[in-house]
Amino acid sequence: MSDGRDSAPKSRRDFLRHSGALAAAALPAAAFASGDTGEGVTFAAGPRPLVRYPGKREMILVHARPPHLETPFSIFDESVITPNDAFFVRYHLADIPTSIDPETYRLTVKGAVNEILSLSLSDLKAMPGQAEIVAVNECTGNSRGYFSPRVFGAQLGNGAMGNARWTGVSLKAVLEQAGVKAGAQQVTFNGLDKPVMATTPDFRKSLEIDHALSPEPLLAWNMNGEQLPFLNGYPLKLIVPGYYGSYWVKHLSEIEVLDHAFDGHDSYFMTKGYRIPDNDCACVEPGTTPDKMRPTSTLTVRSFITNVKPGTTISADRAVELKGIAFDGGQGIKSVAVSTDGGKSWSNATLGENLGRFSFREWRLSVIFAKKGKVMLMVRATSNSGEVQPEKASWNPAGYLRNVVESILVTIA
Amino acid sequence: MGMAMNRKEHFALSLFCILLAPSAYTAPVEITLPAETATLRESTLPGYTLALQKCSICHSVDYIKFQPPGMTLEQWTDEMTKMQHSYGAPIDAQEIGSIAAYLAVSYGSAEATDAAVIAVSAPKSATAAATIDVDELLNANACMGCHSIDTKIVGPAFLDVATKYAGQANAESRLSISIKSGGAGKWGQIPMPPMSGLSDAQAKALAAYILKQ
Repeated sequence: MSDGRDSAPKSRRDFLRHSGALAAAALPAAAFASGDTGEGVTFAAGPRPLVRYPGKREMILVHARPPHLETPFSIFDESVITPNDAFFVRYHLADIPTSIDPETYRLTVKGAVNEILSLSLSDLKAMPGQAEIVAVNECTGNSRGYFSPRVFGAQLGNGAMGNARWTGVSLKAVLEQAGVKAGAQQVTFNGLDKPVMATTPDFRKSLEIDHALSPEPLLAWNMNGEQLPFLNGYPLKLIVPGYYGSYWVKHLSEIEVLDHAFDGHDSYFMTKGYRIPDNDCACVEPGTTPDKMRPTSTLTVRSFITNVKPGTTISADRAVELKGIAFDGGQGIKSVAVSTDGGKSWSNATLGENLGRFSFREWRLSVIFAKKGKVMLMVRATSNSGEVQPEKASWNPAGYLRNVVESILVTIA
Repeated sequence: MGMAMNRKEHFALSLFCILLAPSAYTAPVEITLPAETATLRESTLPGYTLALQKCSICHSVDYIKFQPPGMTLEQWTDEMTKMQHSYGAPIDAQEIGSIAAYLAVSYGSAEATDAAVIAVSAPKSATAAATIDVDELLNANACMGCHSIDTKIVGPAFLDVATKYAGQANAESRLSISIKSGGAGKWGQIPMPPMSGLSDAQAKALAAYILKQ
């Protein structure tokens, strides 16, 4: 079967042709939603198709087995909460569950605890420590497709992220019910998904014991007030606010408290995978190998313009409202600045409702473009701890943690 | 089953079941995943057959198609080495080179005429003429990664396959075709990759071995 080689440039041309002039104050970004599944990324043999999976609207296919679906970027302009049926999906191992009985489902808590627990969903829902939090789940490799030079891995656009209200019970309450023994060091998490072959490591993640016993991590059964979508981890998902999505273990079935550091064959996704250069920028010179690595942890600060696509034409001499989102690893967003002259000058945007320090924060800024011609729009967020998005993209071998200031070239006419 | 039960006993049993049943009974939550549609670009390079057979054990081939364009033979070789070292892919050093060469030519920057591609694409030293060793075939094709004799792993137990085919006409040749063509649906959602690199005699030997269980 033939498939067009490197067809993303064609998508880009289609996109340019279809993007009409924007006249009104509200920029209708949703009008550009269809067709451009590459989101500006090129592939060895694209384009990526739009597909329908159980519980999901049309999503961009990253790969079919195991399922990996990206959210079309236009979704982020619709609401600050990402709808369940548009939330990205990412599995690592292909032997995933396809039938789960909520009556017989059990979460096991074992290891360095006073009492081994086997908890049903009803048990979890009746426990003390019920909690709710709005938090961003972002894939460590979100935006990998924009790395230069390119690196292997899922060539994601900016759609491997989402913001939802998660309801469940705090991990701390569950661990306290089991009774963590003195000397506990780490806590590991395993879900019902398994490798096809026994030679492939299982997908397991771990948290330091102090983090596991902190107020934030949650075992959630509800997402935006509804039962968790199957492909987002039904019936129970570990929520680690501020941490990258790889920690948010789906179909959570086993928690083990360790009195030593997590190691062995099934520690791969902590001890070998999902690791970044162990320095301040988590980066190295492009193409070089880091000396020392550490596990990924908190999200870098990021912001996006959600209502303007690259190549858009905007009318001069009338007010248009630019709009977008910003987030970070849990400090909360202090400010969002927008440049309409390629970074020479910046204006502070107005921040929207604060849904908590782990949530997307909406921003808006009314702009009048006086001069006609090509203009580079840029957006830059600063967190409450003073972390600012860099103007130049850094590089690491796995294509993780991208957070360069986003730039969008538009035409003012 | 098959036991006579009078009406009174039946009523008592029904009541017993109702009382034992959870108060809010819910059925299992199930999903059906869409079929895979991605296919690999055909090629006469020996790595093509190997890629069909080995890569597809653990993932769909859109993983390959949606990598960046223009990656070099060296980069694809590093990636295949990672598949073996990190993820336990059942490929030896010779197969790493062969698959990487196919991928670098079909999806990257290499050409089939490159000396480096030709050097690593040599077919395996031919054992086809020699006697067929079933154990060696099972090992070389990573059959036991997904199957066992008597327990379902992700693929069916050989015993279950033997039971299914028991007494059927042409069982051996039908099973050997099934081994060479692969497929999904007969035994579960995870597809079996086509073992198209096997000779007819090798596939028949494997089929005969499985049917003997």
